[in-house]
Amino acid sequence: MTDYDDENYQDGIDERRAAARMQTHLWKRLFGYAANHKRDLVLLGACSLVPAVVETLYPLITKGVLDDIEANGADANLWRWGFYYLICTVALCLSVGGFIAGAGKIRCHVSHDIRADAFKNLQRLSFSFYDYRPVGWLMARMTADCERLSNILAWGFMDFIWGSALMLGITIAMLVINWQLALVTLAVLPVLYWVSLKFRRHVLGSAREVRRANSRITGAYNEAIMGVLTSKAFVREDANLEDFRGLTGRMFGASVTNMTLAAVYLPIVTTLASLAIGMVLLVGGIDVYYAPLTVGTLVAFMAYVRHFFDPVETLGHWFAEMQMAQASAERVLSLIDAEPAIADSEDVRRAMATQRHAGERRQIAMDGGPAQVSSIELRNVSFGYDPAHPVLKGVNLTAQAGETIALVGPTGGGKSTLVNIVCRFYEPTTGQVLINGMDYRTRSLRWLQSNIGMVMQSAHVFSGPILENIRYGRLDATDAETIEAARIAGAHDFITALPDAYQTDVGEGGGRLSAGQKQLISFARAILADPQVLVMDEATSSVDTETERFIQQGLARVLAGRIAFVIAHRLSTVRHATRIAVVHGGEIVEAGNHDELIAAQGRYAELYRQQSLREATRGWAALEARATAMPDRA
Amino acid sequence: MTIGKDLWAITQGQRLLYGSAMLAMAATNVFMFAAPLIGKYAIDVAHSRDLAAGMPILVALTERIGAEEPHIAHLAVSALASVLLTAAGGVFLYLRGRWTAIASEAICRHLREELYRRLHHVRAEFFDGADTGDLVQRCSSDVETVRVFLSADVVEMGRAILLVCTMLPILFWLNAELAWLSISLMPFLVLGAYIFFSKVKRVFEITDRSEGAMTTVLQENLTGIRVVRAFARQDYEIGRFGEKIRAFRDNYYWLSRLMGWYWGIADFFALMQIGLVLIAGGFMVIDGRISVGDFFAFTTYVSMAIWPVRQLGRVLTDSGKAVVALTRIDHILTTPEESASPVPPAGRAKGELRIDNLQFHYAENEPVLRGISLHIAAGETIGLVGAPGSGKSSLIRVLLRLYPYQGGSVCLDGTEIQHIDRKWLRRQIGVVLQEPFLYSKSVADNLRVARADAPFDHLVAAAQDAAVHDSIMGFADGYDALVGERGVTLSGGQRQRVALARALLKDPPVLVLDDSLSAVDTGTERQILDALARRRGRHTTIVIAHRLSTVTHADRILVLDRGRLVQSGTHEALAREIGPYRRLCEIQGELDAAIAADLKASSAAS
Repeated sequence: MTDYDDENYQDGIDERRAAARMQTHLWKRLFGYAANHKRDLVLLGACSLVPAVVETLYPLITKGVLDDIEANGADANLWRWGFYYLICTVALCLSVGGFIAGAGKIRCHVSHDIRADAFKNLQRLSFSFYDYRPVGWLMARMTADCERLSNILAWGFMDFIWGSALMLGITIAMLVINWQLALVTLAVLPVLYWVSLKFRRHVLGSAREVRRANSRITGAYNEAIMGVLTSKAFVREDANLEDFRGLTGRMFGASVTNMTLAAVYLPIVTTLASLAIGMVLLVGGIDVYYAPLTVGTLVAFMAYVRHFFDPVETLGHWFAEMQMAQASAERVLSLIDAEPAIADSEDVRRAMATQRHAGERRQIAMDGGPAQVSSIELRNVSFGYDPAHPVLKGVNLTAQAGETIALVGPTGGGKSTLVNIVCRFYEPTTGQVLINGMDYRTRSLRWLQSNIGMVMQSAHVFSGPILENIRYGRLDATDAETIEAARIAGAHDFITALPDAYQTDVGEGGGRLSAGQKQLISFARAILADPQVLVMDEATSSVDTETERFIQQGLARVLAGRIAFVIAHRLSTVRHATRIAVVHGGEIVEAGNHDELIAAQGRYAELYRQQSLREATRGWAALEARATAMPDRA
Repeated sequence: MTIGKDLWAITQGQRLLYGSAMLAMAATNVFMFAAPLIGKYAIDVAHSRDLAAGMPILVALTERIGAEEPHIAHLAVSALASVLLTAAGGVFLYLRGRWTAIASEAICRHLREELYRRLHHVRAEFFDGADTGDLVQRCSSDVETVRVFLSADVVEMGRAILLVCTMLPILFWLNAELAWLSISLMPFLVLGAYIFFSKVKRVFEITDRSEGAMTTVLQENLTGIRVVRAFARQDYEIGRFGEKIRAFRDNYYWLSRLMGWYWGIADFFALMQIGLVLIAGGFMVIDGRISVGDFFAFTTYVSMAIWPVRQLGRVLTDSGKAVVALTRIDHILTTPEESASPVPPAGRAKGELRIDNLQFHYAENEPVLRGISLHIAAGETIGLVGAPGSGKSSLIRVLLRLYPYQGGSVCLDGTEIQHIDRKWLRRQIGVVLQEPFLYSKSVADNLRVARADAPFDHLVAAAQDAAVHDSIMGFADGYDALVGERGVTLSGGQRQRVALARALLKDPPVLVLDDSLSAVDTGTERQILDALARRRGRHTTIVIAHRLSTVTHADRILVLDRGRLVQSGTHEALAREIGPYRRLCEIQGELDAAIAADLKASSAAS
């Protein structure tokens, strides 16, 4: 799986631009997720504070020991200092345990909450949203991005409290003990912070380059495996490896740059820190020599200086990471905030609220309208993303209960769009779809869609047993009902031939089934759902002819009393439809039953003729004759 | 033990660099340790007001300067020396980082390329039932695990060990008693960490698994979003996903609590080690057994060494992961490759095929082809039909030498194909596979896969013959449009036609279409068949199809049934003969007399 970063996919969010400056509004929104767990957050804050305090106290203990010895010689009570040290250590270790568990808790809760919100919204969003976002892109947002952001929110928060408290504590301690020495140390601070932030950004920037190169490499492996037969058949082994070497070269360069930057950074920080320590040693040593300063103070100071720079480094890291992660933040929030293009109107929602109180009645649907679908009418329906290239143009079509409407015509003519509009996966840009004579926008989306069963060409099955896959159509169906549905769909025979029959796990994405078998399962699912409206979009295109004929026989029984829309390439499957509509260039160019259309000698008859075997043979012979005798007409 | 050998083997070519990096690390340690030592002497001098307590070299240096205030001059020299030593250590620190980076990256680059090469050269049966996701993972995350091990873990281990090794002589030289105390808790720290991380591995695995389960549900929901909507199962899906993310959350929190306990306790031991030195050292200062400067050196060294040592246990357990990763990588690297002939033949085949009593199976006792015999003359067009599983595609795979056959013979131009160089053989055959694969390159580059040096007008001609030129020109970038998610998404029919254009561009002696017009609508198919008819005689052509209209034009139609050749003849002959072909015709409804009458009636009426 590729990462869907800028390298692989343009989604309108530029990582470089997003990282250009700190965008507090994003973090405010996200911090809201952490703030929902107030008690844990306060606890985590407290646990982060304790180490800062203890780390400020430690050098004071060292100083106490040394000063005590210097002042009292052999009478010094070192046990007292040991006791202090023990208390501090116990407090520190308890809080270390506390903040690790606490930050872990915040982190997993925040990512859980973000995921739950985003997933809920994804279930609501219309297909037009999915049309522009590949599954991999969505996956990357829901997995890696969620983890990255919750990591920042939990550990960044923790380090922010710890780091700022420690710096504050050390600064105060140093100023109180000896303000001259403190100022010497603080002089190095701005330089170190600047270096730290600058370097971190470079390091993270080059880390992004590594990630990109890496996702290209992963993609290349994927391609190598998926396309292995093609590569072998075209003897592409060496050429592919040559291409791949370019990618590994890029990866090598990016990684070495990234690690070299980190390797430069560390020595600079330690040298800067040693500069401060050296200055303290010089200035403090002079003071010790002339006696206003105790050795204990000097040693404590040097310890302070060494610790002082840890939080600077850490804070620099988090600020840079926050800036770099802003593209992730924007993307994740865009998932949560996206509004579905198609949703129930205010009126429908109000009606559904009152209906819930009214209790259950058979004839009344959840939105208060009639539960029965007795007719569907498309009135002057047009549709298109881009007004200049409409996919459908002024389509009129009516279906009464019990009728089967077949849609035929060339690929890209608009057949699938038409049934998607019937299902209200898309809404017409102009025109209306009427159900029982009422615009379907006045009805509940959920009601309509739960009364439509759809079987698609690219049948989707879920991992798990076949039985459960079919049961997805009606969750409370018994085993017997489920198996009966499979029988009608013509799937029973192949299923029982499998080693575990209905309990066979089909594997992720149904990897263990052929395309035709998947279609049969998804067909059985639709039959089990027992919908009022059945939509079949090339539903049996990969099924072999014999099985298809078997399905045709059962289908008549299934379709009785229902409205059905059937799309098919193989015209033999649509011959018995009540009405056949030829969709071409976004328009219905012909409509009627099979006999009428054949008689009309139009496009349908032409399609039919082309498919007819005898016609094909004759056409072939004629063609050859033409190719040899009359080249000018070819 | 073989893993140790493997690890050693993959470092080949980079060992010198790796060794230098380790030396640089040792140098860094020496320099970094010198700085506190200088501090110790400086403090002793300042405290005792006696230059004799100083470090001999620095004292000599101070005297050479001959300043008025030798004590202050000594301090200045010490401070400068410690900064310079740290800076020098920094240079080695940088070299260590840079050299490890280059060495480990070069090793991994080699590994990646070797894996990629191997995936291209292993036999096709390797991929039967292989899980693509798992293979990709071996090549990506497992290599990454090895990389982290080489670039970070090895270094971390080396650092901790070298640090202790550098520190020990200094400490024992300063004071043996306190030195023993300074390291007394360290073994427990390492051992405890090792035991803890070995035990907690199970929790890590459980958490990983629950994350995997969450990802699976998510992936299935998103790819099946149309099914979810079609059955209005949103609430059910939200519930299902909710369960998975809750499980992942709770397992992660479980792990966090365990980690909290561990680090709390480990830190306690580490800090007690420092505390021990602090208090015991204090008593020794009182007794006069060590100087204040010694005290400073001891506390500083112990706090420098204790944290890397604390990490050692974790790193040791992590190296277990690298071993597992390496085993998984090794599985690919040791898979046998296809054999290659040393001297490939030259020239172009004529395209005559003779198959005699061919026996083939994928798995023992499950014969797929059971004694097929046939002869195809050069330039002939053959239609191959049969129910799914009758062995049509397998025959093609055997022909391409993707799979070895177990009995009988297959000859191209009279030579047994098992004696022909695979690459040469495959160059003679242009195949359009059932599920055609296109690379994520531009359309033009995809076509040029067949013939790298083909001029543009040849590409266009091939695309026109495959009836895909107009579709390509419909893309914003035309022939430069990228195929795949980074560019245009092609419909099933478009993919098939691009793949066909690719095979046509190759202009091979033998052309094979394996059910490769199934997603193309009938009108377009007609166009393609016309184009193929114009090329008749140029290639030996084998067309596999379910739709009979695709094969009726063939010179000869062969019918396969459960691995046997059951019928052979022209369409007209077979349609008359009682047998599976006629049944196919009948089932497809193409010989339906009633409809024929319909057609006749309507054409008579017009």
